[in-house]
Amino acid sequence: MSLRTFTAPDPETLVKGSRPSTKRRQLRRAGESYGFLAPTLLLLLVLMIVPIVMVIGYSFQDNVILKSSSEFTGIANYVTVLTDPGFWKATGNTLYFSVISVAAHLVLGLTFAMLLNSRLISAPSRAFFRALYVLPWLFTAAVIAVLWRMLLSPNGIVNFMLDTDVEWLASPQLALGTVTFINIWAGYPFFMVSLLAGLQGIPQDLHEAASIDGAGPVQRFWNVTIPQLRPIIVSLLLLDLIWTSQQFALIWLTTGGGPIDVTEMLSTYTYKLAFANYDFSLAATAAVLVLLLSMVLAVLYVRHQKARD
Amino acid sequence: MPTHRRMRNRAVLFTGLVTAAASVVALTGCGSSSGSESADGNVTIEFAQWWEPELPDGEFRAMIDKFEEANPEVTVELVSGPYASTKEQLFAGAASGTMPDVVGLDGAWVSDFAEQGVIADLTPLLDEAGFDDSQLVSQVQVEDKTYMVPVVNFVYPMFTNDDLLSQAGVTAPPETRTEFADAAKKVSDLDGDASGWVLPLSLEAPNGVQNDVMSWAWASGGSMLKDGQPDLTNDDVTSAVDFIGGLWDDGVIAPGSFTMKEQDKVEEFTNGRVGMMIDSLAHINLIRETNPDLNFSISAVPAEDGYSGERGIPYASWGIGVAENSEHKEAAAKLVSFLMSEETNSELSTMANAFPGNTGSVPAFVEDDDLFKKAFDIYQAGYPANEFVGLPVAEELMRQLGAQLQAALDGQQSLTEALEKAQTEWEGEF
Amino acid sequence: MALTTQGRTRLARSGVIGGLVLGAIFAAGPILWMLSSSFKSNTEIFELPPRLITDSFSFDAYTAILTNSETLRFFFNSYLVAGAVTILTLLVAIHAAYAFSRFEFRGKRVLNVVIVSVQAVPPITLLIPYFGLVVGLGLYNTYPGLILTYMVFTLPYAIIMMTGYMNTLPKELDEAVRVDGAGSLTALWRVLIPISVPGIVSVGIYTFMIAWNEYLFALTLTRTTEMRTVPIGIQLLMGQHSYEWNQIMAMSILGSIPVLILFLLLQRYFISGLTAGSVKS
Repeated sequence: MSLRTFTAPDPETLVKGSRPSTKRRQLRRAGESYGFLAPTLLLLLVLMIVPIVMVIGYSFQDNVILKSSSEFTGIANYVTVLTDPGFWKATGNTLYFSVISVAAHLVLGLTFAMLLNSRLISAPSRAFFRALYVLPWLFTAAVIAVLWRMLLSPNGIVNFMLDTDVEWLASPQLALGTVTFINIWAGYPFFMVSLLAGLQGIPQDLHEAASIDGAGPVQRFWNVTIPQLRPIIVSLLLLDLIWTSQQFALIWLTTGGGPIDVTEMLSTYTYKLAFANYDFSLAATAAVLVLLLSMVLAVLYVRHQKARD
Repeated sequence: MPTHRRMRNRAVLFTGLVTAAASVVALTGCGSSSGSESADGNVTIEFAQWWEPELPDGEFRAMIDKFEEANPEVTVELVSGPYASTKEQLFAGAASGTMPDVVGLDGAWVSDFAEQGVIADLTPLLDEAGFDDSQLVSQVQVEDKTYMVPVVNFVYPMFTNDDLLSQAGVTAPPETRTEFADAAKKVSDLDGDASGWVLPLSLEAPNGVQNDVMSWAWASGGSMLKDGQPDLTNDDVTSAVDFIGGLWDDGVIAPGSFTMKEQDKVEEFTNGRVGMMIDSLAHINLIRETNPDLNFSISAVPAEDGYSGERGIPYASWGIGVAENSEHKEAAAKLVSFLMSEETNSELSTMANAFPGNTGSVPAFVEDDDLFKKAFDIYQAGYPANEFVGLPVAEELMRQLGAQLQAALDGQQSLTEALEKAQTEWEGEF
Repeated sequence: MALTTQGRTRLARSGVIGGLVLGAIFAAGPILWMLSSSFKSNTEIFELPPRLITDSFSFDAYTAILTNSETLRFFFNSYLVAGAVTILTLLVAIHAAYAFSRFEFRGKRVLNVVIVSVQAVPPITLLIPYFGLVVGLGLYNTYPGLILTYMVFTLPYAIIMMTGYMNTLPKELDEAVRVDGAGSLTALWRVLIPISVPGIVSVGIYTFMIAWNEYLFALTLTRTTEMRTVPIGIQLLMGQHSYEWNQIMAMSILGSIPVLILFLLLQRYFISGLTAGSVKS
């Protein structure tokens, strides 16, 4: 079967469908959908929903995990967490860190993807640069943290090349900006590679048609490329926002949430509750609050998906 | 429409296959189990620690092999992980009732594990195993029960870079705080980028608060506790912290303090960029290997001017404990007794460049290495001091004080305010 | 003075090349330093002024890693686990994404919200209940335990991205096949999957990277040295008292090379223009 044959039927009949038994067909298709989703649902139910429900349960009790005497405490834990200034400080930092990171990821990722997709340079050089550009992707967070600690130390190479002696990570004024920068560096390839793949899906004739209509490269970018990439960009933004707001290893291993509390994130805050204070109930509470926040995001995303249809 | 039905069937079949595959994959995992007893009464115990990767390849396993030879009915499975994650691992194990039988412990965790009831009282266990606990250098107790025995101890004396000091015109390592401040200033004033002292205050690994800050109070016989309760605003602690604040204001402390860790401190010293540091003896060989040209020596941490009493010397331990839920406590106690026995303990402390936990043990390096001999003399002239050992949420206490000190050194509050705030925070944890 | 078309193209080309070079310094500069450090002795890594190539340039760090059978086992485990996770995740996610992208069914929105938001729970808080669950299922210290765990973490990502990719492809393509009398599965495998290859490859590579780089669960869910993965091996070089800096760097480089090669091999799917051509018809 060749692709060519698919173009035969008239699009109008395709979209509307011409069969009478629409209802039965819908039912069948619902069954089919669940068939396609079954493995996903099974896995997520057993290995994700169950632990999450347990975590939600912990958030309404105290002395969970190790002590046998846990008691139902209602919303007491929520009151404790929500009235802790440390929680709000962490929320503010997390917002700053995530929003800036995600915006920079998008701009850098899209710029690099466009550059790498440019037909102005030869295929081998594009391949070469592609390989260089994915490099930050290939390393585990602990190594990225160690590497940047070395590069940015007061006696490190960055200060040497700039001929400065700035305490990039240890200064309370700079630390949040610095960890955000490191995260931008570590995360843009995710956007770049995904958008590069997305660019391949844009039919060339759309560009050609726009060119014939007299659109320059800039207009083509805004009128053809961006609208075509939008579904991917929306998914990327959503995922990256969720992931970045959870970034733990990178922050913990570079600054530990310090100096003082300037890089304290919800992730480090939660970690300390669980493993430094051994207060698992409060850690679970903070986790549930993060879950609620991102459910708002998820609903917005799904709305967007629906509006698009 | 036969095609449709066939396709649908195929869809269902495919889904079924994937699901089945996932379940099969899931089921193949069954059957693995930890510490067990076979029919002939032989037992396998797990020993979780971070020591094996820290020691030269294969040496720790060889030591355990000796134990197995002597106790053929016991098999020891070593569960080794990175130090930085050991606590989480033990906690997760404890939560699901699968904590390994014998566990390596840090003094900072003991109180928390004991309070949660996941580690066992060692006294009756060692008694049954016929081990005389009077040979132990120390025992870590929580509410009068021993939960951890320090196997080996790493003491933290002062290291001085002798070349830097003599260039700066300092002829002998400082013995008092005034001499220290003076020497630090002279080293910092030298041409080049060397600093007088290095102070790691990372909040990720906040043990700098214990080793590099509180050590100043302990070295002058001071204490941060009163009747087991926090007492951070007393004169001992205040004068130590004020002294550090003075060094900070003089600009003699190496840059990057607020995110610096113990490992970074050592790199700075090894590369000749700081004149003095307070550090673990465990690093002597490392410094020698990485920079054979560095001339350095070891002395006691300077005390307040005019102080003549015994000096507290901070230490960190590799401690050992037994899981409360272990089904083989008897075998576990045998392993603990073995590691604490005079001979094994000498051997282990030699391997680790640490001081033994058995009073009778003498590590080989004390006899044939001048630096270690000096350190051993310092150790014996003073007393081991680490008031964080056995405190509840000890690491969090260090972190809280560390963050307050950072805010003070950054100029956001006074040192007195920092101590007062930390005192309030600590009182909330006790 | 107006530019000729040729002149404009040349200008654009220098702009692109200039941008690429700048970007490359930003992207690869730190990695160059990492590479250089892996050939140094531990003292030289911290010496001032820093040098790219030092007197004691050597492959010692690499030799130390490659001659250690324990470390080689870590590499084997990481490949096995990450490879299995990638294949299984892609298989499962493509079908789920197909359902989300092409079908309307009851509960779709709720499921979508669930799949998006489950990944928002900080993994660190899931660790303890999750560990209990894995022990209970008998998956502790097994490959399936790790593989299923990573699938759970990568599936939401893969489904969301694959749905995004499929949404960029015209519905008419696969609808046509279905109307032709073929079933949904045929439409998926014969039409959608072939033209989604760039998306599948990029999701696959990222899935692989997530599984390859994961540390916390790998450490918690395994017990014996035979089961441990590369990130744990790297962390083992960061000791209580000191770091093996050059070996940390060397092991990271070694770990990244195969993935880089994989990426280079697969990147023809990004440039072939294959999809553009077929959609165009």
